[in-house]
Amino acid sequence: MGGTTQVAARGSLAHPASTRGRRRATWFDRHFARIAVLPTTLLMLVVFGIPLLFSAWLSLEGWSPDQTLFGGTFAGLANYQDLVTDPEFTGSLILTLEYTAGVVAAELAVGLGIALLLNIDLPWIGLFRTLLIVPMMITPVVAAFCWKLLLDPDHGVINFFIQQHIVWLGRPDTALLSVAVVNVWQNAPYVAILLLAGLRSLPHEPVEAAQIDGASRLQMFRHITLPLLRPYLMVALLLRMIFEFRSFDNVYVMTSGGPADATMVLSMYTYLASFVRFDLSLGSAASWMMLLISFVMCGCFIALVRRRDAT
Amino acid sequence: MARLSPVGSRRRRKAEAIAVYAALIGLTVAFLFPLVWIVGLSFKTRLQVFASPPLFLWWPTFENYAATLSRADFGQAFVNSLLVSAGAVSLSLIVGVPAAYALARFSFRGRNFLFFALLSMRMLPPIAVLVPMYVLFSAFGLTTTRTSVVLAYTTFSLPLVVWIMRGFFEDLPRELEESAWVDGASRLQAFVHVVLPLIKPGLVAACILCLQLAWNDFLFAAVLTNNATRTLPVLMAAFSGGDTGVDWGGMTASGVLVILPVILFSFAAQRHLVAGLSSGAVKG
Repeated sequence: MGGTTQVAARGSLAHPASTRGRRRATWFDRHFARIAVLPTTLLMLVVFGIPLLFSAWLSLEGWSPDQTLFGGTFAGLANYQDLVTDPEFTGSLILTLEYTAGVVAAELAVGLGIALLLNIDLPWIGLFRTLLIVPMMITPVVAAFCWKLLLDPDHGVINFFIQQHIVWLGRPDTALLSVAVVNVWQNAPYVAILLLAGLRSLPHEPVEAAQIDGASRLQMFRHITLPLLRPYLMVALLLRMIFEFRSFDNVYVMTSGGPADATMVLSMYTYLASFVRFDLSLGSAASWMMLLISFVMCGCFIALVRRRDAT
Repeated sequence: MARLSPVGSRRRRKAEAIAVYAALIGLTVAFLFPLVWIVGLSFKTRLQVFASPPLFLWWPTFENYAATLSRADFGQAFVNSLLVSAGAVSLSLIVGVPAAYALARFSFRGRNFLFFALLSMRMLPPIAVLVPMYVLFSAFGLTTTRTSVVLAYTTFSLPLVVWIMRGFFEDLPRELEESAWVDGASRLQAFVHVVLPLIKPGLVAACILCLQLAWNDFLFAAVLTNNATRTLPVLMAAFSGGDTGVDWGGMTASGVLVILPVILFSFAAQRHLVAGLSSGAVKG
């Protein structure tokens, strides 16, 4: 990497302690960076590297919890084959992708709207910013069960307002929508904060020039603010995609994947396979499928960050 | 910040300001109503909760809070939540802050690999690590202990600490340590006495964000704890599992008690929090 050699050159220049002769750079000084990252590396290996490798191995085995750690029999790709031929899994995969796309689109739209409003220079705007970010601080499990009470068919306040008796979480067509609304409610404020930081960092000159030229508010937004904000929108989009793809808490509390698998997202499927049916080999295979999809999204994110760092 | 139309007449500007306030008030009401309603439920008696039509004005009762606070399992879960959150945050800070400093300032072999490994650790779905972790922890007799939860939480809090702190370290001028090195300070002395005091805001931001994640986590705790070691979110999910039952007052009161610490803490440090959130994600 170009960056590394540059830093290396600077690092070797910055050894004045030895050249000035005040005190010699000790062994500890010379290896300071390596010693500083050692605990992190070890901890990562224990909680991340080894589990992932072990999970890859489990996914290739026919292993059950009553066997010893390495007592399974090698099964090749049989677990993966079971998955791709299981309509419940493929259904769950498609559902998760659709759900992620829908929720992220709604979060970006609402978040951008909030950010644009909060970016206007008016008294008391700070108060609104403080109030609007409250939902994102709420523990997701608590948020989910609160919404469960709000959506209760008999005593929920939402059915009272619309004066209808809708069993929101018991019907396949409304259950997914209800779960999605809770996610948007919690995470749109987060998107708004990211985009607000972006809006604040935009240069003033293009907008001022356009104002002098008599551009309308809508024209300025479409042709100046939106293109300038694009990198921030992309970061928010990818971050939210990565996090919505793994949604679990609100689904678990509100519907547990039901009714009739209408909210069976991949995390829920993997959870049920691993910790309810205790088929940990199948669960590992399912989690590796999720990992691969996340790797792709993560790769896009890294490429994006790098490209921005380069400019 | 954007200003309202600078060329328009005064009257038009006033009209626009009113429109903006109306939109903001509408949004705030929509976003806060669910929470306000839930807090309201927590101050109602059982009869008032199920009154039809719903009561919008009533004399508040504190019986739900008294009942929740006297529950043994709630107190136990509260202590567990405090212990594992504090454990995860301190472990991640102690381990992660020096690494963030090294990543921001020095070059060493494997630097890029470490950096992107940390990034993928933050981005990958937690359930993918949880399945093998559960098997490995059971093999070592660690499941259902708080230690296992603390270790599991470092999978998200450690990368977060490194990511945020690296940004703060990079913003500090390099000359600070270099002059300390010239004066004969060792790398460690320069780090502890010169750099660390200057990045307190960063430490606060990293601390709060990790605390929030650890306090709010459900998935890891649900799998890795039992009735004695479960945390508040696990207890909450057990309250509301299946049918919502009839004790809405108790459920909402305990829910409010769970979210109150995080909200108070976040408000107290809101400035740091926003800085941390945007440095963690926007600055890259």
